[in-house]
Amino acid sequence: MTKISYLPGHSGSPGADTLPPLAESVDYIGSLGKPTAARVLMDARDAGRVAIQPRCGVGGHEEMKALLRELEDQAQPDILTLTIDSHTRLKRFEQALRSLNRAPADLNGYPLVSHGYLRGRDINESVTAPLEIRHGSPDARILFDVAVASGITSFEGGGISYNLPYSKAVPLAESLAAWHDVDTVCGELAGLGLIIDRELFGTLTAVLVPPSISLAISVLEAVLAARAGVRCISVSYPQSGHLVQDVAALRAIPVLARTYLPPGVDVHAVLHEFMGVFPKKRGNAEDLIFYGALVARLGGASKLITKTYQEAFGIPDTRANVDGLRLADRANSPLLDFVKADEERVADELAWIVDEVADIVEPVLAAPDTMTAIADAFAAGRLDIPFSASRYAKSEIIPKRDAEGAIRYLSTGSLPFGDRTRRHNSDLLKGAGSTGPVIGSLLTGLTDDINYFPTLFREMKREDSE
Amino acid sequence: MSHSERRLVILGVAASDSHAVANHLIAHALRGLGFEVENLGTCTPVEEFAQACEQHPEAEAVIIGSLNGHVHEDLRDLPAAREAGRITCPVIVGGNLSVGSRKDPRDLERLHDLGVDLILEDPAQLLPALDELRSDRTADRQRLPVAS
Repeated sequence: MTKISYLPGHSGSPGADTLPPLAESVDYIGSLGKPTAARVLMDARDAGRVAIQPRCGVGGHEEMKALLRELEDQAQPDILTLTIDSHTRLKRFEQALRSLNRAPADLNGYPLVSHGYLRGRDINESVTAPLEIRHGSPDARILFDVAVASGITSFEGGGISYNLPYSKAVPLAESLAAWHDVDTVCGELAGLGLIIDRELFGTLTAVLVPPSISLAISVLEAVLAARAGVRCISVSYPQSGHLVQDVAALRAIPVLARTYLPPGVDVHAVLHEFMGVFPKKRGNAEDLIFYGALVARLGGASKLITKTYQEAFGIPDTRANVDGLRLADRANSPLLDFVKADEERVADELAWIVDEVADIVEPVLAAPDTMTAIADAFAAGRLDIPFSASRYAKSEIIPKRDAEGAIRYLSTGSLPFGDRTRRHNSDLLKGAGSTGPVIGSLLTGLTDDINYFPTLFREMKREDSE
Repeated sequence: MSHSERRLVILGVAASDSHAVANHLIAHALRGLGFEVENLGTCTPVEEFAQACEQHPEAEAVIIGSLNGHVHEDLRDLPAAREAGRITCPVIVGGNLSVGSRKDPRDLERLHDLGVDLILEDPAQLLPALDELRSDRTADRQRLPVAS
């Protein structure tokens, strides 16, 4: 492959004028002869099945194409992924380009901006499924422009969810403004007849995220996206591991959409299969993958992002990725109609989740300028996420699993919860071994919660039983 | 805490380390015990610890966590910061301090050589360690007038 010496991109970077106008990209996407991601999601929901999607991304262009083709040949996922490398995520395009030319295998994803939109189109044309870009950029404007020019119809991220878990020192005002620009272009594209699916990253730090935190952040990002003109929003939620809680959280997504979003915005629930510490043994890992897929089915998710039996060891090989997709898709079987959740408990849990989300988001949405209100609320801890990588969230919230394994609040920090919610949480945590803020027991208790599945499968001993 | 006296510590994770969980839990636990915690969070270079010390000369300790086994490398600027008088309070390091499951006592010596005062294996040791450092310092202060 010839080396690349230019950088296609935005104004200010070399080759800025090489990107085609939006209307040309819209025509190109129409000519591709494949559905958009938004169409695939709508069709899956109408058909009552869960669309399946892997995570995947490698540095080299031919390698990326080969990876996607093999995944498509072997497992026919409904949507395919281009996971982007960390240099590109942080707009270090020159470094991504150097690595690409020297040792593409060192990149932990596909550097789309460095490859350029023509190669993006080449990838798009080599598979039949629509593509989504998954990354982690607080400012993804250049990446988004190249993605649209590549004919890619789904783009993950948001001004909160792609900042706080990934960056230490990017002010929220900056990331929110950058994502507002992305969402505004989605609005322009909708005007030209192309609906881009904007997936929000409700998984956040992926460690013991209480459902009402994940969903509250997504509601705020969704409200901003809808105001900017986005017409298809995927709200992703990370599997906690507790069946009732997870099914309730997924079913809360359309309820919250009806409450907080204008009609005419299509909202999909997406489940991320368990994002925490995975069991090591293949059989145990596959149990967890299938369990996640059943949760997505019961929760009415439009889409499931899959894991593999190699999750405990790092980025999976193609074979494992294929097996993970195939296994997850088995949960779509018509034979499994007998699998039910306890509807009464799900309804009760759902009501609590919706109330908690309302407590968190409504004061922010009542303020005149939502973006400013979000940044101010995080500074004061009225909005918060656990275990933030960023200094712009206080992380006063401490999560804890209750006796059944559902994720509750051990500390609600400065969240504007009423007494009823606080009491409910502390009642649920009675008997969960939480004995106040003693450093040692707090750490061992939380370590056990984080290692929930390896200990459940007896691959690991509980620390507090020693 | 026995006194209503203000106690402030500076907390952070070593420069190459992005493990946020233990960091936030220790901050939460210390605050619950009445400490003010200046938490610099993950991926904190020595320079940022030094700046925090200059902003908070009353800090009674700098507490540095490391879980990825690279703490020696991450603290290579500590001797210079010590020498320049930018970090004068005790430095406590804890976590998983070297790569591999077998620990070499020489690793601990190397950390002491860099200017680390105290190395903790278990987070439960943190509060007693802080109390002990404080009573040492109080004792030093009481001895001073006699010595001068």
